[in-house]
Amino acid sequence: MSGNREMVAPLLEISRLSVVLDKRHQRFKAVDDLSFRVFPGEILGLVGESGAGKSMTGCAILGLIEPPLSISSGEITFDGVRIDQDASSIRGSKISMIFQDPLVSLNPLRKIGDQLVEVIRTHINISKAEAFGRAKTLLAEVGIDPGRINAYPHTFSGGMRQRVVIALALAPEPALIIADEPTTALDVSVQAQILDLLKRLCRERGTSIILITHDMGVISETTDRVAVLYAGRLAEIGKTSAVLKNPRHPYTKGLVAATPRIDANSFEKRLFQIPGAMPDLENIPKGCAFHPRCDFASTQCQKQQPPLFEDRSACWLSNEGSETS
Amino acid sequence: MLIIVLRRLLQAVMVLLFVALISFLIFRYVGNPVESLLGQEATVAQRAALEEALGLKDPIYEQYADFVLRALQFDFGNSYRGALPVAELIALRLPATLELAMTSAIFAVIFGVITGIYTAINRGGFIANLILSTSLVGVSLPTFLIGVLLIWVFSVELNWLPSFGRGEVVELGWWTTGFLTASGVKSLILPSITLGLYQMTLIMRLTRAEMLEVLRQDYIRLAVALGQSKRQVYFFHALPNILIPVITITGLQLGSVIAFAIITETVFQWPGVGLLFINAVYFVDIPVMSAYLLLVGFAFVVINLVVDLLYLLIDPRLRDGQLKRGAD
Repeated sequence: MSGNREMVAPLLEISRLSVVLDKRHQRFKAVDDLSFRVFPGEILGLVGESGAGKSMTGCAILGLIEPPLSISSGEITFDGVRIDQDASSIRGSKISMIFQDPLVSLNPLRKIGDQLVEVIRTHINISKAEAFGRAKTLLAEVGIDPGRINAYPHTFSGGMRQRVVIALALAPEPALIIADEPTTALDVSVQAQILDLLKRLCRERGTSIILITHDMGVISETTDRVAVLYAGRLAEIGKTSAVLKNPRHPYTKGLVAATPRIDANSFEKRLFQIPGAMPDLENIPKGCAFHPRCDFASTQCQKQQPPLFEDRSACWLSNEGSETS
Repeated sequence: MLIIVLRRLLQAVMVLLFVALISFLIFRYVGNPVESLLGQEATVAQRAALEEALGLKDPIYEQYADFVLRALQFDFGNSYRGALPVAELIALRLPATLELAMTSAIFAVIFGVITGIYTAINRGGFIANLILSTSLVGVSLPTFLIGVLLIWVFSVELNWLPSFGRGEVVELGWWTTGFLTASGVKSLILPSITLGLYQMTLIMRLTRAEMLEVLRQDYIRLAVALGQSKRQVYFFHALPNILIPVITITGLQLGSVIAFAIITETVFQWPGVGLLFINAVYFVDIPVMSAYLLLVGFAFVVINLVVDLLYLLIDPRLRDGQLKRGAD
């Protein structure tokens, strides 16, 4: 993390957060001792394979964790206020969320305008007519003809519906939007449009974004900083450009190498794969969770869980100078 | 939109014509109407005259057309017993059955939906579990037993409510109503509960299951994540989305309530069409039976037509003639 960033107070601070799954008298850690910060106006990427705990972290921030899952330890602070016990004061109003699949994110039986007005009036104390006007402005901003305010969701395409969802997320004027794989369900050409739109609108407003994705391409195009999660733990965090160009954690290296590139020689090369699969919650290996899949693993990696070295990488190798990078 | 409505109407007419065909075939071929009407000792001349009068010598499709045309004018012939016009017999008893069916349906829908939503929202809570386990009794006890139990408790032991009949009724034209007198209303209570209890538990369980299903949907999760209140989530987002299945089942149940009020009407000696039908079966009174069949068919078709039109009112996707969710 760069020096000047630390002068600014973080908008959101997650420190040593653990989310556990209680199952038949056993406890499994879905998110394990996770710490990171989000600064005002920045876009932080959360990346990792399915089951790495990305979405769960997003839900934990909004207080949407429900039994049998629970937050077992750690603190979440938003703008100086603890929200890990009760997030109702910020849910929607200060932090809002976008889900993966726009086709099922909107109530099929309600007009999009009514859904927008409903959200606006939940958080902003204005009349129905004013809220309606605001809804129209929002639609125009996300690139939808405000004249369609009385249309039903099924009359829109997937990309258009995700625009409506973005309008919904922006409606309460939040300081942070958690976007959980907002483009995974969309066509590639639409993906870029939606990401650009989200980025532009948040930059204009100074809104921060936590962008949850498994797509390194999306990370490199969109985010300022990136946090790589593995098995509920932070593997590496840092400026996106630094992490992608010079990954320190072998898992990050694997992810970067496994990202398809389209260039002249890509047709001859086989795409790199990280061997093995991510462990499920019930079988997280001792020591570094990644060691069974890591080419560089030593006996230390099998026994001891590495801390985060230099606020950057949780790997024993990155402690021994930067020979691996 | 208009085309969809017209198509549904056309389907309804087709179904009714088919029901009329079965009803006609019963009349024409179950037993011999001539013997039923004249008895064993009639002369050949009398038989021929009656066959001529009933049009039994005409081609079968003409007889059917004649049957349908007469049914359209509420002419179902005369009852074999007492020789009264069947239409008159039914008109005399229909208000009793319809009032009973409507009251029990309204009771079932109101309590069913409310308790269904309650038990879904407070899933696992003590009261919710109590309601759910009690409702098992409602489903598993046979109607006549519930009726007899209610009579025993509220009529025999407590002496609060009458155990049989409609009480005093007021005549409004050809319609007789029990809603306007105290004894009429009192008489309605026990039979309505008896008839509606099963439907209520059914609607409750359906509402609960649908509600739990809808509450898992992404648009509900998004509404929660955007900080909307529980009231908004349950009533603005969830409730409209459970209406279609609930209305479908309610409609079907209302049809069966009208059609199968027979047991309740027998237990409470309710002077409705169910009782009329039982007696008709007992005396092999074919015209009454076939008219009853037509009536029940008509009730089902009308209810389903109304249900279909309600679908269109509730779901904009169906209005646009688009049946599948998410098909852009």
